[in-house]
Amino acid sequence: MAARFLSKSSSGSSLLGALGTSLVGVGSVARQTTSKLTYSDIFFQQQRTFVQMGTKLKVVDNSGAKRVMCIQALKSKKGAKLGDIIIGSVKEAQPRGKVKKGDVVYGVVVRAAMQRGRCDGSHVRFDDNAVVLVNKQGEPIGTRVFGPVPHELRKKKHVKILALAEHIA
Amino acid sequence: MRLEKCWFCSSTIYPGHGIQFVRNDAKIFRFCRSKCHKNFKMKRNPRKVKWTKAYRRLHGKDMTQDSTFEFERKRNRPQRYDRINTEKVLQAIPKISKVKATRQKDHITKRLSVGRVNRRTEDRRELEQSISLVKAPSVLKEDATLTLPKQKVTVSYAQTENTPMEE
Repeated sequence: MAARFLSKSSSGSSLLGALGTSLVGVGSVARQTTSKLTYSDIFFQQQRTFVQMGTKLKVVDNSGAKRVMCIQALKSKKGAKLGDIIIGSVKEAQPRGKVKKGDVVYGVVVRAAMQRGRCDGSHVRFDDNAVVLVNKQGEPIGTRVFGPVPHELRKKKHVKILALAEHIA
Repeated sequence: MRLEKCWFCSSTIYPGHGIQFVRNDAKIFRFCRSKCHKNFKMKRNPRKVKWTKAYRRLHGKDMTQDSTFEFERKRNRPQRYDRINTEKVLQAIPKISKVKATRQKDHITKRLSVGRVNRRTEDRRELEQSISLVKAPSVLKEDATLTLPKQKVTVSYAQTENTPMEE
């Protein structure tokens, strides 16, 4: 059933074939928009993949930026997962902030729609893709962090972000 | 290690199973398998989905209030490790679960017993009324064991029966 809908896909990317795992080099959301989809299929088809070049992420600190587009996921060819560092370009910013539109910044992915496996065997996933801007040393630029953050950050040594967080999931 | 309950169907989630979904308001939803997860994504209300515990409890199909549930309630107070206490608890767990299971079974049996009685009366009535489908009435008259015992009832208006009809 899944392959049938992929073949009717009207989205620009040609993602025929592998549906189960990450789709390399393609947009992060494989959402079909044909009219023959039934109500229930629309919800099942959404495949969550890595944060990769072109992914727009929400910025959840008070550094001044609002949205950031990923231009490079460090440390992985496939893309960034929850807790990884990315390089991004600021696409939207607040008028008076530490960061301006067009800046190239480092960020830590604190919420990812793609599930990440934990060492006890469980999987976690969040509602959206969010990032906290960081400098090259890994310290956050802003002074506050909004929303829940995962405790994967502790292993990745982003202790300062955890300290600023409202809620640790 | 903690055994969680699935948000949708209320079954226990053992380690290594299921997905945890964290919403942006920091509420965590745990699902035991993708069936529950997908139903959640479809925005179905578990109280309306027949096979979930939430529906069953709401509609009185399963036991709701019992003292055995008190043992399983989540307590957020950490307890210092006490070997004697732990041993007692480990011995008590199978006893409690056995009591709980029998009580749940009795609750369901009691609920279904009303139907059993109704079905018996229905069957009895069907036997009385439709026995002619099985055996011809003439045969029944000859053999007394094939019918239910007839009861004699005295009727007060016996005289009016015998008056001939007028043309």
